[in-house]
Amino acid sequence: MADKKKKSKHQPVKKQGDAFTRYLVIGMIALIVLAGVGAALAKNHSNSHAPVPASVSKADGYGISLNPTAKVKVDMFEDFRCPNCKNFEAVNNTYVNQLVREGKINAVYHPMSFIAPDSAIAAAAAACAADQGKFLEMHTALYANQPDSSVTPENTAYWTNAQLILLGHSVGITSKTFDTCVNSGKYIPWTKNIAADAAARNINGTPTVIVNGKTLPLATDYDAKAFTKVFTDLGIK
Amino acid sequence: MKESWKSWLTLLGRLLLGGVLLAAGYLKAKNPTEATASVRVYKLLPVGAANIFGYCLPWIEIGLALLLIVGIWVRQVSVLSGALMVLFIFAVGQAWARKLAINCGCFGNGGVSADGKVHPGVYLTEILRDIGLTVVAGYLYRFPHGKLGLDKAEVSDI
Repeated sequence: MADKKKKSKHQPVKKQGDAFTRYLVIGMIALIVLAGVGAALAKNHSNSHAPVPASVSKADGYGISLNPTAKVKVDMFEDFRCPNCKNFEAVNNTYVNQLVREGKINAVYHPMSFIAPDSAIAAAAAACAADQGKFLEMHTALYANQPDSSVTPENTAYWTNAQLILLGHSVGITSKTFDTCVNSGKYIPWTKNIAADAAARNINGTPTVIVNGKTLPLATDYDAKAFTKVFTDLGIK
Repeated sequence: MKESWKSWLTLLGRLLLGGVLLAAGYLKAKNPTEATASVRVYKLLPVGAANIFGYCLPWIEIGLALLLIVGIWVRQVSVLSGALMVLFIFAVGQAWARKLAINCGCFGNGGVSADGKVHPGVYLTEILRDIGLTVVAGYLYRFPHGKLGLDKAEVSDI
């Protein structure tokens, strides 16, 4: 065995004909890797020229900010196709919406788009609804109508633009601008800005709820009592 | 002649290690948001560096996988792949020791575990699989020349 090994180091068998194929294959693999790395680094930056919906600021990580002057700031990182976000919404949606409508909190929504192929069009449609002053309604409707993940697995597509437009109409949006906004994918580039900001902020899962800079434990997100207590402790009644 | 089973085993090892790396790379390359989150949650790198590593890692895995599958530079690639496996074992092991509640993220689906809890089974499975793959990489280092490879064969391995 040792003998043979020694020998092999000095006596490679020559297969000249293969050399060209080999370099061609090496070249192709190198190209795939470089193109992949290049595209990944280039595409996942925020684009300051991307159109952004109403009430969005770069300082808030491109999130949709409602009641920007309220003292208690609640950042919510969610994906419209994330089943755990649906659980969070089922438990707390009514309460959060009430706090927003009463102007008691500055809610900043960061709709992420990594769960399903249609997460991004759902997020973009919600942004179109924000332009029509119907973000909360669209947001609520998207979770209320999220498909059951045992029937439509969370990583498979569900929504189409046509359905999202109908959903918008069902919450009272009448403007044609909304339909055009959804169909043209106007805010798809903005969803990349949301993602890039979340990556920079070390957001590693959805839902992630941050109240005045402090991330709530997941257990609190799914527990109405504990969640409400966070706000009553901050003097919100 | 009697050692030809070794070159078939080398081919099998290349396809196994290459196949796993290709699947892991492809599933992560498809979803950069998850890929970067799955690097960040191990808390080994500062956020900025973790993100850059998260964008690059899937393509490194794909590159190593393709080289293994076609059988180019098998010995060198087996060293790199083995080193990558050791790095993964270390990352998962330290996450387990620090009780970081995470999914492995090896094949996408990374990030914080869904219920925010530590699941020992997850870490153990990952570590055992990566040890297995390190052994495969070791075999490829010892017997790099198998059937259907583009590397120039050497006497000892035929």
